[in-house]
Amino acid sequence: MGVVHGQEMVLNIGPQHPATHGVLRLQVKTDGEVVSEITPYLGYLHRCFEKHCENVTYEQVIPYTDRCDYLASMTNNFGYVVAVEALMDIKVNDRVEHIRVIMAELQRIASHLLGLGAFGLDVGAFTPFLHMLRDRERILDLFEMTCGARLLYNYMWVGGLSHDLPVGFVESTYNFLDYFEPKIDEFVNLLVHNKIFVERTADIGRMPQEVAVSYGVTGPNLRASGVKWDLRKNDPYSIYKSFEFDVPVGEGGKGSVGDCWDRFYVRVLEMKESIKILRQALASLPKEGDIHQSIPKKIRPPKGTIYKRTESPRGDLGYYIESDGTNIPYRLKMRSPAFTALSVIDEIAAGWLLSDVLAILGSLDIVLGEIDR
Amino acid sequence: MKRYIIDIWAAATTILGGMGITLVHLFRAKNDNVTLQYPEERWPRPDRNIGFDHSNYNVIRSRLHVDMDDCIGCLKCERACPVDCIKIETEKVPNRGEDIKEIGHVGVTSNGSRKAMVVTRFDIDMTECCYCNLCTYPCPEECIFMTGGPNSDKHPIDYEFSEPNRNDLIYRFAKPGSREGMAKIISEQKAEV
Ligand code: SF4
Ligand code: SF4
Repeated sequence: MGVVHGQEMVLNIGPQHPATHGVLRLQVKTDGEVVSEITPYLGYLHRCFEKHCENVTYEQVIPYTDRCDYLASMTNNFGYVVAVEALMDIKVNDRVEHIRVIMAELQRIASHLLGLGAFGLDVGAFTPFLHMLRDRERILDLFEMTCGARLLYNYMWVGGLSHDLPVGFVESTYNFLDYFEPKIDEFVNLLVHNKIFVERTADIGRMPQEVAVSYGVTGPNLRASGVKWDLRKNDPYSIYKSFEFDVPVGEGGKGSVGDCWDRFYVRVLEMKESIKILRQALASLPKEGDIHQSIPKKIRPPKGTIYKRTESPRGDLGYYIESDGTNIPYRLKMRSPAFTALSVIDEIAAGWLLSDVLAILGSLDIVLGEIDR
Repeated sequence: MKRYIIDIWAAATTILGGMGITLVHLFRAKNDNVTLQYPEERWPRPDRNIGFDHSNYNVIRSRLHVDMDDCIGCLKCERACPVDCIKIETEKVPNRGEDIKEIGHVGVTSNGSRKAMVVTRFDIDMTECCYCNLCTYPCPEECIFMTGGPNSDKHPIDYEFSEPNRNDLIYRFAKPGSREGMAKIISEQKAEV
């Protein structure tokens, strides 16, 4: 900041603070209202995920992956099983692939709904949060119908799925999509164009392209900065190649590219793209196919290592697995997108007002379960 | 000055737009109601109509239950559990497949397998359980399951099992007195030899 230095004050936000989306402590150096430096302190939610994984079998890792990004458990399962399957060279049939994509996209919508709602909450808009949670419930109902769980599913298994789709799932999903599509415009009216919201977010916390790339920020946060990078397009896994969808990028609709408003709006657009993918996947869902067909009797990957990454709602979710030929992973490392998103906060939030810092933090849509693991 | 008026105008219209949506919801509230008076009313569980062979499916997450008359003590569920919250101890039976009246042991399961083991301890610590359902799949007798699932007409769903005392959440399924009973039987056997 400028030349004039008043007295600096160090302020702790968190670890227990509703705006930190979990247990995160931000040590903020402030000069009056202006923030000059932010240091995030992690570890309050550390559960030794990676060390645990070295002690349980490959099947038993899946419930642990659920609990990393607890708002997008399906996509966490997805990334893990894709990695193990690549290591073991397993091909799953078309029905399984379709169901996985359907689940992952529903999860993306659910996760974005909560992320957007909580962002609205951070800047003081309470009503949209309730609207979004209401619609998220419907997605969770679909999940409950399928596997009995609403949040932590353990649904995708190496080589298949735990359950087939129940009767009536496809119709219910279509019903949901028909109901949900017009709702997006309602959110847009409630929040996106709302003058108060725009004032709080447009031009705030601009993340330039180079900063985003050099910090390894991925997912909607990167795309909001104008980089067209989506692993579903750029490094297609599963059957994403066969679907048509766009990758929305931030265009600075209300302010400049890469500001908080862009990060919000990119997520709104992404939900629309997810609906497109869902409709295509539901239409081409094969009727036949045993979902347990390629589940191996014993999961003992051959010696070797693999790094596989998938696009979770928060970005590039990678699993590095080293196998020594036994049924327990020798080493498992998870690359979490929320961690890199948080690492950039000092860069983009320094120099803004204290209340803007919380808006910026909300716009990054972090999940502490995944950052601390 | 112009900018100022435009800003005010934009703020007023967008807020009124939002208020409009709220107003619409106010009058739609009857059929769009999402709040339930929980203990009196319950959210209906989604229909779990699987449509084919139920026995392979256990699409529910609630409290675990074990049918001890069917359990053969194979320890498969214990091994499958990622958090090790199932604790099983077994003893060999003197005669395979025979009932042992003193401790209420049933020799043959409902599937017709003859038991070689008496389960003297079968504890599930529901405070540790993460409801991953992994223990229910490998069971050869389908006797460990989550209540309310398709194969448990006897056990209606039970997801409200909070307790004032933490230890009450450790569910002990083994027949009471089976450990002492087995110890006595074994010592009697030894005495005979
Ligand atoms: S549901 Fe999972 S955590 Fe609970 S007892 Fe079964 S295997 Fe263990
Ligand atoms: S897997 Fe089934 S039969 Fe075997 S010990 Fe567990 S509950 Fe008993």
